[in-house]
Amino acid sequence: MAKLRHIAIAAKDPDAMADFYCKAFDFKIVRSNDGPLAYGHHLSDGTIDLAILRFKSDQIGKGMDYTGLHHFGILVEDMEESAKIVEGLGGKHYMDQSNPDRTGGFETKFYGPEGILFDVAEHPWTGTEPLPVPVKQAAE
Amino acid sequence: MPKLRHIAIAAEDPEAMAEFYKKAFDFKEVGRPNGYLADGVFLSDGTLNMAILKFKTDQLGKGMDFRGIHHFGVLVEDVEEFTKKLDSLGAEHYIDQGQSGHQAGYFEKKFFGPEHIMFDIAEHGWAGAEPLPVPVKEAAE
Repeated sequence: MAKLRHIAIAAKDPDAMADFYCKAFDFKIVRSNDGPLAYGHHLSDGTIDLAILRFKSDQIGKGMDYTGLHHFGILVEDMEESAKIVEGLGGKHYMDQSNPDRTGGFETKFYGPEGILFDVAEHPWTGTEPLPVPVKQAAE
Repeated sequence: MPKLRHIAIAAEDPEAMAEFYKKAFDFKEVGRPNGYLADGVFLSDGTLNMAILKFKTDQLGKGMDFRGIHHFGVLVEDVEEFTKKLDSLGAEHYIDQGQSGHQAGYFEKKFFGPEHIMFDIAEHGWAGAEPLPVPVKEAAE
């Protein structure tokens, strides 16, 4: 089964917000970046990536002033297969990671029902748990 | 360490949206909340509870037409201890489970963090969500 492994927040001040969640819940900063899409910090609880980002474009049509929960991300076994399923169900492809060598973040972004943005990746977000090993494989 | 265990989406049609995520990612339906705050569908990936909800009040101040990711939830060992900590960090307490007839198991306390972003904390967990890991010392006993 695919796994939810990423939650992204749109923030005006990612530094202050990241500091709050690190202090409040002992989450750890596992990556900070200033890329073409956003500036901010990736926190981990050991399982999930909580990205606190100042976006540089209006990906969700709520305006550049929007602050709040922005999108989530799902770790899958097979990116191509999942993309076909998502598109077959009416999901709309939005963009692919521009650097195919970069892993640890989104690989493809889609809009699902009601225009809700989500990422799909087959490599775990930095600092997150990989997909569980299937029972049969684990027993071998 | 506390764990992210809940993500809530504000939807116009929770039924249709839940079907999409069930079919796309094999998430399982684990509940049908029908409460004072929202109706909808609870899904699980085996670790997190993904709540797809039609809210009945404007909790975020973004209007009743808001569609998108609404809030997240953190599973903690001790809600009272974390309430004190959050208060001291400047979080604004919003509402407790049990007030106005909220159903148990959905959340225990809601807060607004920096930039008025809402999150829940709970020590009993959401439907279909994994419990906190057993501490290494305790597991060895």
